[in-house]
Parts: sequence; structure tokens; C-alpha cells
Amino acid sequence: MAGQGASEPALFTELEVEFMAEDESINIVPNVRMDTLNMICGDYGPFRPQIPVTVPLWLGIAMKKRSKCRIQPPDWMSVERLSEVLEMEREAPREFQPLPFHYVEIAKLLLDNAREDFENNYMVQSLLEDIKDVRWDKVEKGLKNLSGRTHAVKLKNISAMEVNRMRTFTVRALQSFFKHDNDDMMKQTPTDSDSQSTPSSSDRLPRRTLRPR
Amino acid sequence: MANYYDIHDILMQDENVSTVFLHKANGAGFLDPSSEDNNVARGSVVDLPLWLAQDLVQRQIVHVKLPSCFNARVRKEVQADPACIDLRSKCPFYYEMGCKLVELNVDPTLGPYLLDTLRGRYKDLLCKALTATLTGNPKFVPLLTEEETRLFEAGRDSMKAFKKWRLQGPRLERAAILGRKRTRDPTPIWS
Amino acid sequence: MFGRTAAQLVREVNNDDQHIRRFNYDLFDKVIAEIQEHFQQVTTIMEKGQEENEDGQITSVDENYNGAVIHHQSILRNKRCLLAYMYHRANRLQRLRWQLGAVLPEDVKGLLHPSEKEFVKSYSEALSSYMTKLDIDLTVDITPPKDPYIQVRVLDNIGEVLLGDQSTSLVRNSIHFVKRSEAETLISQGLLEEFTG
Repeated sequence: MAGQGASEPALFTELEVEFMAEDESINIVPNVRMDTLNMICGDYGPFRPQIPVTVPLWLGIAMKKRSKCRIQPPDWMSVERLSEVLEMEREAPREFQPLPFHYVEIAKLLLDNAREDFENNYMVQSLLEDIKDVRWDKVEKGLKNLSGRTHAVKLKNISAMEVNRMRTFTVRALQSFFKHDNDDMMKQTPTDSDSQSTPSSSDRLPRRTLRPR
Repeated sequence: MANYYDIHDILMQDENVSTVFLHKANGAGFLDPSSEDNNVARGSVVDLPLWLAQDLVQRQIVHVKLPSCFNARVRKEVQADPACIDLRSKCPFYYEMGCKLVELNVDPTLGPYLLDTLRGRYKDLLCKALTATLTGNPKFVPLLTEEETRLFEAGRDSMKAFKKWRLQGPRLERAAILGRKRTRDPTPIWS
Repeated sequence: MFGRTAAQLVREVNNDDQHIRRFNYDLFDKVIAEIQEHFQQVTTIMEKGQEENEDGQITSVDENYNGAVIHHQSILRNKRCLLAYMYHRANRLQRLRWQLGAVLPEDVKGLLHPSEKEFVKSYSEALSSYMTKLDIDLTVDITPPKDPYIQVRVLDNIGEVLLGDQSTSLVRNSIHFVKRSEAETLISQGLLEEFTG
């Protein structure tokens, strides 16, 4: 849990990342009539049978669980779109394709709770698995290239869960490298020991992206 | 500068280094069992923990000798096959100790050597951390130094947590202090 | 000497991250005695140095200074270890307050130093009064909530418990549908478990 871990106070748990994803919007088709819901975060509805309406994911899933609606799969979760993305992920080994920031969590929540609302749910799931694996493979390859001279890592289009999954390791690794690969450690001639530990400025060195060039 | 309460930093500084006294120190005979008058004589060779050695070097009272885990023979051995060497047995705080020695100007070639060692071991460690199984410590973990172990655990634990989330276990759990399962054993599990 | 005893104390907190061990009076007192010993030595060395100066004897001040520095550093080192020991235990006790609620189990209490019991009490009071002022229980929903109700399985015969506005009989292995906020503390105390079957 955030802020409670002894050693990693800044880390989010998977459940917390999922919680944030639940604020994303989703279209649902209600099968009940219900007045507008006035929530702290906004007003949703009114709900009329067969009239699509946009709600936050958490609300959509809560209604789905009570069989009060059908969920409209988002466009990017169609078999065509996902096949396209997978192909492009494979073709471009150095970049990530644009997908919703919370695609991992949204996909899991929808497939866990509204599986029957997807025409081709088995196919969708296996495509998502493949995409996830190809992307994670790129993350791993990128991590292999870390060094002490890495000051910033550019990861365009990476998703929330992917960042979260690599965060602790990456931060630790960068800290270790930075501790060793700086001017104080690399000086070859002895100097006065009092002048130690002046932090070297972090932006005077060239930026290196995580991807191999 | 490490946190004052940092356990790892405190324990790291408990490691011994061999030092030579450049000046006499009165009333500190407890450091040197061979001394007869409760003083440490000039030129005495004494093993001191890092926390003391570090301060005395800065005051130019002692000079630190290069510990054997950084000598030429060990370096050759490490460079030959960095990933498979048991660094922990050389010194559990190999890197931290090395960095301190560079700070204290013991050996300027130590910095580049440590970086090479870390680089040589990093990729292997990365692969193993990300593919580690859910239970048990694989057999290479005892070969890692403290710093490497923490890096390995960071990677392994993230993967573990992610897999757990995907399999969707219970969201609420009993506090870790109470142990995994309640036993009928009358002795308290936390003593 | 060499602060080894103090380091042993720190190693003890390091060894298991989650648990609290019995407060180690033995080692703690040994370290305090060591500090006093070092302090004695510093005083002796300083006095001796002063006398020698007054007598006009030829001893370089440096030699006394060197010895005094060594004892002084030993005092600082021992102090750091003692403080780290207390600090990490206190941190763990704070976490317990969040996990187990205001009342510590008796067997945990037995492991604490009187000052630690005092600390737990004050911390718990401070937290409670803050939460009363806010009129919100900050210790629930440590993991993000899903549904307001969950299924739980009872792990032990607990007896009659007031859940919500009605009294429920919690018999071992029975399954209940309860408000999550009410079950949460009971789960972390190990009396119930979330039932996901």
C-alpha cells in the first residue's frame, strides 16, 4: 500500500493503479430506467433502456455486476484494432504503440466482469496477452542498456501498469549505477578528501533514451 | 549522505579495514591488544571498523590499507567471469565498501573497477530477477552482495505482485506480523 | 568495544522486517555501559592532558587529542546504533496501529519497553483524536475498495459480534456477507478471511 511500505514509500500497488484506472470512461447500454446519479465526482445518467450513456468504469462495472447494463467494448479492444497494434509492435522493436494509458487494467476489468459483451473474447484476450508480452520484452531489452550515464529514460506510450511494474527495479538500478558512474568515483588522481561528495549536476551529461539507438 | 537511521549504512560501516597509525594515540589501548601502556604507538597496524577508520583518515591520524578483497588477484578473478563470482563471501557490502575506500583515497583505480564489476553482473541479475519463480530463493542469491540482493528483490517483488494481481487473490489480508497461519503452538510466533 | 554490541542490536532489527522482538534490555544496557566507559576515558585523557600542560612536560597535545577522538567517535557510533534501534521499532509499532487498531494484543505488549508502550498509547491517542476531528476513519480502505460488501469466512469461534446494527453470531467456518469497512480490521487481526471462492 502506498506510503505504508517500509522501504518503498513511493510505490503504488497494482490494486491502487487499478483503482485509478476505474475513473476512465466507458459506454454502457442500460436495461433499466434510473434517474441521474449525483456523485461527488459528477452527475451520471439519466439512464434509459437501450440508450447508450458514458459513465466511469467503476460505475459501469458495478451496474454490470447487478445485471443492469451491457458494456460497449471500447474501439481499441476490437480484434481488428488489436491485431493491427500487435503487428506494429512487432515491426517497430524500438517504440511502443499508442494504447490507452490504463489499457492493461481496463482490459482485465472488462474481461473479468463483462466477458460476454465481447463478440470474440477469446481472441481479444490472446491478442492482449501477445501485445503485453511483446511490449514487456522491449522494456526488458531497454533495462539491459541502463548505465550510470542514463539520466532520463524516455518511454513514449508506455502504460501505467508497465511503468509500475518496472519502477522499483529501474530506480534501484539507476541509483546503483549513478553511485558508481560519476566523476567522484571515476577520478584517477587522488585529490583532497575534503572535496568529496559534491553532487554533480545532472543535466550536463548527454541524455540517453532507454531504447537502443 | 546516507540517512542517519539507515540500517544498511550502519551495518556496512561495521566492516573492518586494516589501518596503520601515523601518529601515537594516548588512552586508546583497547584498539590494539598488543599494546602495554594503554596507548596505540605510531606505526601500529590495527583492524578498525569503517566508521572509525573513516573519521581518523580525515583527521590524518591513520592510513587505510587496501583490503584483500580488492587486491589484484581477486580483481583478476572477478574480471574473468563477473557474473558467477561469489562476491558476498569476499565482502557483503562489496560496492559500498569500495566506494568508501575511493572517498578515502585508498586506491583511485577502484572506482572504474567497481563500475566494471557492476556492469558485468547487472544483465545477469536483471534476467534472473524478472524470471524468478514465485517461491523460494534461487541458488545464486547467496552469491550476491547486499546491494545486489536488494536490486534483485526489487525486480522479483514487482513481478510477483503483478502476477498476483492478474490471478486476483484476496484483496484484504491478515497483518504480516501475525504470521501466515495461526498455529496451535503455545509459544508466541513473534518472540 | 568497537561498537560491536551496538551493531548486534541493529542487526536484530534488520533480521526480520515485519516482526517485533522482545526489547533487548541486555544488549541495550551493555551499550549504555560502553558509552559511559568511553566517556570516562575521554575525561581521564583530557584531565591528564591538562595536568601535563600545567607541569610543562613535553607531551604533544596531539597524542592525547588522538586518543580522545577515538573514544568520542565510539560514543557517537554507539548513540547512532541505539537511536536506529529505537527508531525502527517505533516505526513498526506505528504500522501496527494502522493494521490492528487501537488495542495491541497482550503478547505484543509484553515485548515492549515501558517507553514504547507509552509511545504506542500516545500515538494511538493522537491518531484517534485527529480522526475524530475529521470525522473519518483513516485506517479503513488501506487497499482501494471495490464493493461496499464482501464475503468472509470465519476462522475461529468468535461468538456474538455487533456488525452494523444487528448482532451476528460468528461461528468457525461460517460464511457471511458483511460491510467491508467492518470486516477489514477483523481480517487483519486474523479472525476472518476474505472468501473469494
